[in-house]
Amino acid sequence: MSRSGSSAEFGWRPGLRVGVGLGLAVFPVAVSFGALATTLGWPGLPTIICSAIVFSAGGQLALLTTLTAGSGLPLALGAATLINLRFLPMGVAVAGSLTGPAWKRALAGQTILDGSWAAAYRGKGRYDRLTMFGASAVQWPAWILGTVVGVVAAPPLTLVESLGLDLVFPGFFLVLLLDSFRSTPRAPLIAGIAILLTGGLVLVAPVGVAVLLSSLAAFVVLIGHGGRSSEPTELAEPA
Amino acid sequence: MTTGETLWWAIGALAVINFAIKAAGPALLGDRALPPKLALVVHSLAPALLASLLIVQVLGQGWNSFDWKLLPGLTVIGVLWLFRRSQIVCIIAGVLVTVAIRALV
Repeated sequence: MSRSGSSAEFGWRPGLRVGVGLGLAVFPVAVSFGALATTLGWPGLPTIICSAIVFSAGGQLALLTTLTAGSGLPLALGAATLINLRFLPMGVAVAGSLTGPAWKRALAGQTILDGSWAAAYRGKGRYDRLTMFGASAVQWPAWILGTVVGVVAAPPLTLVESLGLDLVFPGFFLVLLLDSFRSTPRAPLIAGIAILLTGGLVLVAPVGVAVLLSSLAAFVVLIGHGGRSSEPTELAEPA
Repeated sequence: MTTGETLWWAIGALAVINFAIKAAGPALLGDRALPPKLALVVHSLAPALLASLLIVQVLGQGWNSFDWKLLPGLTVIGVLWLFRRSQIVCIIAGVLVTVAIRALV
């Protein structure tokens, strides 16, 4: 059992379908980024190039706000990097499901986005790389196109909220989290600890650091495992 | 105000850093077999990260993005999930509830 209800499908096509939903949510966020960047004085071309080659809402917004607030380059890069550190444990988690030589896996790792990574989770620690590729392949052009629209049209920054689209990502993560309860031993306990850690850490640390440290909640799974060396893939599904 | 040269350097550097962060795990670990205990932890990362991402999305940095009007939508999603509705149905229902709550309050 992996994804919601009976609709667990993986591969390029299901990935593209998931990507359309995520792309619809990402598009207005990108529009907001383009509009905000223009308002704060970034020229159009670097704003659009930033979306094309960085492709990270949190990192880009951190860079934009810190640089335009007068921070130096090292501080701005530090803030953006801390936010993107969450991709580190995601990359570790997905590593075993990618194939080919190191350079190929490094390229495949570039398709790790919050939504795509979550959509690719098959349960029991396995990920479907094609699903991740498909979901990211839709979101990338949506992100660039949204930025272009934001730069050119500069619509109100409240667009995302007024359409209720700020619920899409948390809602998506919630569904997949609940799904993981069926496939990962002690998932509710791990999630509960991660929620408490994240809730506290975002008060004092950048979100990337909070997510990175909260991933340590996964170590709870070792409690009671003692000297046993059972393979994770052989773990029985909880009732 | 950011100078043009600084801006281009910042964007280029962030792109390289982002590439390295995403590439690190897949390139360095690959598909090599991890020690069983470490593998168990890695395989349990999903619920930890999903829960953390959910909270970050709802609360934001310093809880500055918290909007209680998202909570009814998330509740509806949880309830529909219990009734085994598909992912897309759950999320569309949650979005509609959120839009309705914002229109009413």
